[in-house]
Amino acid sequence: MSTRRVRHVLLFALPLLFLAAAFYYPLLRLFREGVTEDGRFTLRFLSGVFTDPYFRRVIFFTSKQALWSTLLSIAIGLPWAYVLTKYRFPFKSTLRSLTIVPFVLPSITVAVGFILFFGNNGYFNQALMFLFGLESPPIRLLYSLPGIVLAHAFYNAPLVARMVNAQWEQIDPVYEENARALGAGRVRRFLGVTLPMLMPGLMTSSMLVFIFSFLSFPIALALGGAQFATIEVEIYTQFIVLFQQPTGSALAILEIFLSLLFTFGYILLEGRFTRPVGGGMRRETVPLFRWTWHKGLLWLFIASCAILYVGPLASVVVDSFTRQWAGRTILTLDWYASIFRPEYNALIGAAPLRSVINSLQTAAGAMLGALAVGGPIAFAVARGRFRGRRLFDTLVMAPLGVSSVALGAALLAAFLRPPLQIGSGWVAIVLAHTILAYPFVIRAVVPILEGLDRGPVEAARSLGATVWHAFIDVELPLIRRGLLVGAVLAFAISLGEMSATIMLARPEWKTMPLVVNDLRAARSFGGASAMSCLLMLATAVAFVVIERSGARMFGGTKWSKSA
Amino acid sequence: MRYLMMVVALLTSFLAACHAQDDRAPLVVYTYDSFASWGPAVSIERAFEGMYPADVQFVAVADSRSMLTRLLQERASGRQGADVFIGIEAADLARAQKLGLFLPLQSGDVPNLASVDATLLLDSTRSLIPYEHGYITFVYDSEQVETETLARTFEELLEPRYRKRIILEDPRMSSPGLSFLLWTIDRYGDPGYLDYWRQLMPNILTVAGSWGEAYDLFLAGEAPIVLSFSTDTAYCVIDQGSARHKVMLLENQGYRNIYFMGAVRGTEHLDWAIAFLDLVLSPSIQSLIPTTEWMFPANPEALLPVPFYQYAVTPPQPVMLPPEMIAANLDQWLRDWALVILGG
Repeated sequence: MSTRRVRHVLLFALPLLFLAAAFYYPLLRLFREGVTEDGRFTLRFLSGVFTDPYFRRVIFFTSKQALWSTLLSIAIGLPWAYVLTKYRFPFKSTLRSLTIVPFVLPSITVAVGFILFFGNNGYFNQALMFLFGLESPPIRLLYSLPGIVLAHAFYNAPLVARMVNAQWEQIDPVYEENARALGAGRVRRFLGVTLPMLMPGLMTSSMLVFIFSFLSFPIALALGGAQFATIEVEIYTQFIVLFQQPTGSALAILEIFLSLLFTFGYILLEGRFTRPVGGGMRRETVPLFRWTWHKGLLWLFIASCAILYVGPLASVVVDSFTRQWAGRTILTLDWYASIFRPEYNALIGAAPLRSVINSLQTAAGAMLGALAVGGPIAFAVARGRFRGRRLFDTLVMAPLGVSSVALGAALLAAFLRPPLQIGSGWVAIVLAHTILAYPFVIRAVVPILEGLDRGPVEAARSLGATVWHAFIDVELPLIRRGLLVGAVLAFAISLGEMSATIMLARPEWKTMPLVVNDLRAARSFGGASAMSCLLMLATAVAFVVIERSGARMFGGTKWSKSA
Repeated sequence: MRYLMMVVALLTSFLAACHAQDDRAPLVVYTYDSFASWGPAVSIERAFEGMYPADVQFVAVADSRSMLTRLLQERASGRQGADVFIGIEAADLARAQKLGLFLPLQSGDVPNLASVDATLLLDSTRSLIPYEHGYITFVYDSEQVETETLARTFEELLEPRYRKRIILEDPRMSSPGLSFLLWTIDRYGDPGYLDYWRQLMPNILTVAGSWGEAYDLFLAGEAPIVLSFSTDTAYCVIDQGSARHKVMLLENQGYRNIYFMGAVRGTEHLDWAIAFLDLVLSPSIQSLIPTTEWMFPANPEALLPVPFYQYAVTPPQPVMLPPEMIAANLDQWLRDWALVILGG
């Protein structure tokens, strides 16, 4: 008994010790600058931030755009989850894997895609002007709040879709069938039966989207402009342009405080919505490509999604194959040739192709790390019965709400000082990405764990299975959808991450988004598009491979025949 | 589980392979991404390694300000990251000096500095020395905007015919953006510049986050005027085979920007670091600056390629605020500017 307890404590204590050393301690060190002056405690910087009408406006705007972005992400993500759950169609599992690709794209790529496609002079407006014989562009989305909100939805709707889809497939279909037998209509069934059971997944993903949009900045500046600057832009200005660490830290403290407040509110609410939803039953799906009239709306949705996602991404692909020469647009392979050029390899120590390998290796490492750290904590949060569990749950989500500028600095400091003196390089980047990614594992697994019907596990235990065996053979397969989504999100976070990587990377460990940035800074606009296409291709393949092998790894028992 | 083991095994073997060591001593150079990836870095590296038993390592994973922040953080943690830093712009000069990150150089340490134009030598302590310079100007698409009736003054830029036709950059996030803010302060004074910006607002399509984003918008045809560099026509000729993008001078001015480099305090290879700075200023390396950095070389002995010589514009009246004045006021200027942008 006692050895088991030791094992339990170790399982939870090790990840927490790691987080304390690599994240909380350096972050608090950095934040200390926001509340001290000449070594003495002061609230001058914090109150300066609170009382300044300018900062108040920035905070208000940041919250407003995050709220709209969350609502639009749900409006797109929820029907998307519905399609993924209810219907079957060719290449469905591949499409589900690809769903998450937009989530990892560098902001530059998305900005370029949006400009080329949704710009006043973009393909979409040009097509509409041609079709309807208009004189001026009918849709003016960019340089305004709707442009930013749409871009945030572009990024985050996939997250909502994946998390809600995982929750939905967990729901035992018998509930809906009972409701149907009792005469409830389609709408009634959804609102009264399905939606309440989906709430944990929906709320979790909404919280993640809100905090993501709250902290976003390059995309807001690129598509909205300076008047749409978020708190993060101010933090960047204070830290990196003005070298004003105290004010920057004060803003970062405010930002993380607000993020954690939202998280805490969500965690309080979450408890009310959790209910057992059955577990891992196979759902019947219906073919998508069989026409019925009520599918009209569905097809309208699918068409809009196709425009939103295929439009900008295809524009980037087109951009990577064309160039301007002597006033004409010509087809070319120059950009691809340029990113594979041998001179480039020698220059920075990491050729674009090498950066593909770098990114995938780092992301694989971060994914395993995030599962190792996030998995046990998720169990502690879902199953543990200890005082302050909600506060604990909130605090372990902190990496999500921290300013990326502050985080980069804090992680650099963490890895240069004892106790975790590993310097910069691959291990440092993987650990940094692990810290950023593990909250996603927690949020993907907890709702599923809490909604899990404990029947099968208890049955296995009563038949003589050890705790360990019951966990491996019964429980793990039951929560595999959550684990898989968590793993995929962790992988995605690592692929897209830039701020911490900038602080920690050696040139030979440059990742794909950094190379895209690089090419753009060096005026190779076509090269940046070509590299973006390479990035999309590499991540798409990676996600398909992860999900295939992940499904095979967890998919062995009778409880878990894959849908 | 077997998958996991395989992945872990692969990763560890890979890590081990990475630790293969080079026995030459490293000379670590922090610089910005474009300088290393397409700039003159590789030629510098080859030349330097031919002269000294050093292993030159460029660390350039972001823009120069982010790299400077990284250097600062590393110093605060007591770990020396770099021996040489390349890429501090004039507006940051006074603030960078205050941080005490760079070693003062003796006269004669860097022989090639003797041929550099005296107007570029802003740093009296000689710890930061210039290696290139350029001018921020507006650039316009000559197929969208008539050259004959082009705005020639700041006032003409306010005319309604330019409504929503100008793309600017955010001075908080971008170097050209900051240059234009300082330029308007030079022209109208403080607080007069705020009034100018208020009147300019209707003509601004957007204030983009970076030069790259602004240029993307310009290339996509979203607006015909963009805040950019006076070398853009040369770039357009060499890269796109046409002189379609032309430089637009307001009051015959351009905001001058000078870029500096220095030896980082605490370097164990000071002699190498100094020799490295001298090499960057040598005519052969300086001749690479025009078509990789799209800037003017600091050393006038450098050779300019013909299209660059022909099309790169040197504004007759360069404008530049003193770095000390910038250091003292930037915080306030940016704040007031941001309020105007928000409609205040």
